Amino acid sequence: MLYRTAGQFKTSYKADQALFPVRQDAILLGIIMVFAWVIFPFTASEFAFQTMLIPVLIYALASMGLNILTGYAGQLSLGTAAFMGVGAYACYKLLTIMPWMNPVVAIFLSGFFSAGIGVVFGIPSLRIKGFYLAIATLAAQFFLVWLFEKWAWLYNYNASGAIQVPNTTTLGTYVTGPLASSMTQYYVVLGIVTVMTILCINLTRGNLGRMWKATRDMDIAAELIGINLMKSKLIAFAISSYIVGVAGALYVFMWKGAAEPNLFDIPLSFEILFIAIIGGLGSILGNFLGAILIVGLPVVLNLLPDALGIPISSALVEHLNIMIVGSLIVFFLIIEPHGLARLWALIREKLIIWPFPH
Amino acid sequence: MKHWTKIAAAAAATALIGSAAIAEGLFAPNLSYRTGPFAATGIPLMNGQKDYMAMLNARDGGIGGAPIDFAECETGYSTQKGVECYEKTKGEAIVTQPWSTGITLQVLPKTNVDNIPILAPGYGFSPMMDGKTFQWAFNTPSGYWDGADMIVQYLESQGDLSGKKIAFLHLDHPYGKEPIPIFEQLAAEKGFEFTPIPVGLKEMQNQSAQWLQIRRMRPDNVIMWGWGAMNAGAITEAVKTKYPMDQFIGVWWSGHDADLALVGDAGKGYKSISWSFPNLDAPVMADIKKHVVDAGLSDSNETEMNGVFYARGIIISAILSEGIAAAQAEYGTAEINAEQLRWGLENINMTEERIAELGLDGMVPPFSTSCANHTGHSGGWMLEWNGTGFDKVSDHMTPNVDGYRALAAEKAAEYATANAPWPTNDACDAES
Repeated sequence: MLYRTAGQFKTSYKADQALFPVRQDAILLGIIMVFAWVIFPFTASEFAFQTMLIPVLIYALASMGLNILTGYAGQLSLGTAAFMGVGAYACYKLLTIMPWMNPVVAIFLSGFFSAGIGVVFGIPSLRIKGFYLAIATLAAQFFLVWLFEKWAWLYNYNASGAIQVPNTTTLGTYVTGPLASSMTQYYVVLGIVTVMTILCINLTRGNLGRMWKATRDMDIAAELIGINLMKSKLIAFAISSYIVGVAGALYVFMWKGAAEPNLFDIPLSFEILFIAIIGGLGSILGNFLGAILIVGLPVVLNLLPDALGIPISSALVEHLNIMIVGSLIVFFLIIEPHGLARLWALIREKLIIWPFPH
Repeated sequence: MKHWTKIAAAAAATALIGSAAIAEGLFAPNLSYRTGPFAATGIPLMNGQKDYMAMLNARDGGIGGAPIDFAECETGYSTQKGVECYEKTKGEAIVTQPWSTGITLQVLPKTNVDNIPILAPGYGFSPMMDGKTFQWAFNTPSGYWDGADMIVQYLESQGDLSGKKIAFLHLDHPYGKEPIPIFEQLAAEKGFEFTPIPVGLKEMQNQSAQWLQIRRMRPDNVIMWGWGAMNAGAITEAVKTKYPMDQFIGVWWSGHDADLALVGDAGKGYKSISWSFPNLDAPVMADIKKHVVDAGLSDSNETEMNGVFYARGIIISAILSEGIAAAQAEYGTAEINAEQLRWGLENINMTEERIAELGLDGMVPPFSTSCANHTGHSGGWMLEWNGTGFDKVSDHMTPNVDGYRALAAEKAAEYATANAPWPTNDACDAES
């Protein structure tokens, strides 16, 4: 009913290939955009910004980076957190060496460092695949975290080995550091995530995306039809690491405010991999859905007992939370092994043909 | 996509809670960790803190007539959850107790903006002792640098240190690295050889490589700065490699009864410096038994209540309640706010008489804080494991703070520059 496509005729190839062939999709996205850009920022409390809105966006971006590599180009990676770390440390060094630099520019630049490192650790992908490649990227994970700990220049010889985000301004308002307001930070994150998402959607629909998908589905066949595997895989590593690096810089500069090397250890890599898998590999929307489930939902669940006035201890809530989120993950993967994005796609299809199923 | 509505619902729920949480009394939340990898050490501390506050509520009806709402927010020692708890509680809270170096690091820069005192008793960044720079942070009654200094003093009292070899087994983490500058400074002064041996977070339970190094090096003493599973790992490994236990000294967080109970008699002679002591005969213990345990309000048990960590939890709550009481007396109101508590924490005066009055005899050394001195430098005692519990084996020791006052000021200034613009409280004089 709501999703009836009757009457929406495509009269040109251009219309047929549009990003939103169904008008309702565009309307729905528009509503979400209004929520994200206008309604949330003006109604959210400091708590909602810091524990839900900002982290969900940042995790979704990191997962999007991983999804380019794993979901589209088929190269399994366990080094996401380390590449995020490269972005964060690069951004920190850029801003402390050149304090006059605009923080947003620094965040975009720091992605390039991460992309470079990503390409280096992507070279083994030319010879090995699947789980073997996962092990090679795991090496990046261990090596880089070790480097963050041992190379004191990276954290400006700070005695505790941690990096602290300096207060920096853009156009007279604080953007990073403790003096920045959550709303400013949210808009910066939202802006960057929006730009990156548009970029990713277009990349994956275009020539590169098709090349990656061919590589993912069968690399020998891809090579036979003339795809340069080296180019395809290394570009995937570069672009994926760039996005992940930007997400890492945002993670520390727009959200955490301080970071120790072990923040970028393997649990973070796994968390992002889970977001990508539960959201749906090979989809852009899935990253956002996955991030909401993994990052946002536990926060909401933690609030529930208080909001409903159920007096249970905070530790018990935490235990219940872990159990509930765990079983939800299992539940969603059983009803739709391809992730939440696929689940949404099925729901949408059903809505389009409703009330007359085939 | 409908998940977005969940966010909206959550935002609404938060707003609701924000207004609903204005409870009667003083809201002093604790960012507890009863879950996760460090829960074993967290639970006795949290229980001690909670039981003391529950006792005050039951016995005296709170502090100065205002009941204490001592809510816990579970972090599992995770920084992310910690910041979540901080954001959730900061609206109405008069204090934040972050309970982890990671959380302290993140929350510290925000306190100047949010105007809420951080109480980090015996942990956190040592230069926080400089109250001029760190107006909102308190690591009373002793910081890590105090601990390092007292351990070296104790070793010196056992014999000349020059030419001796001291190994420093520490967690490779901001917490473990914290005392290194002081040890290095003292090593240069006293002429001992100082070797840091880091233990990675992932190797906490498997320290065979580190102990092999210790065996080869044959140090005269091993000093440990461990936490969580690392302590038990190091103590069992030391027993296994037959390292003489009486030459093995830990910081206060490395003196957990349960870790030593694992090895029992084999651990005899192991020492830990501490600013708290479980004096089971102290009146406060009887009060807690009467008002909290017998009333069924406690989550603790007999063994745990005899331990060092439970007693430390009591002391931590006692410090907070002293701060609250000082602020109430100064401002003439029971319902103090965060700003007033900051003043109170700056004006704690724990004299011997006051300690006896509170029923904490022999559980904490006397100390006082001031505007410029946020630590108090209480000093402490050397505790020794006797196979079943800890005994005091030294007199009250006091750290030689003058030895590192300049270093603290320098580090504090560095921190302030890195976080510029950082307001300092120039009304304080530098003396403490």
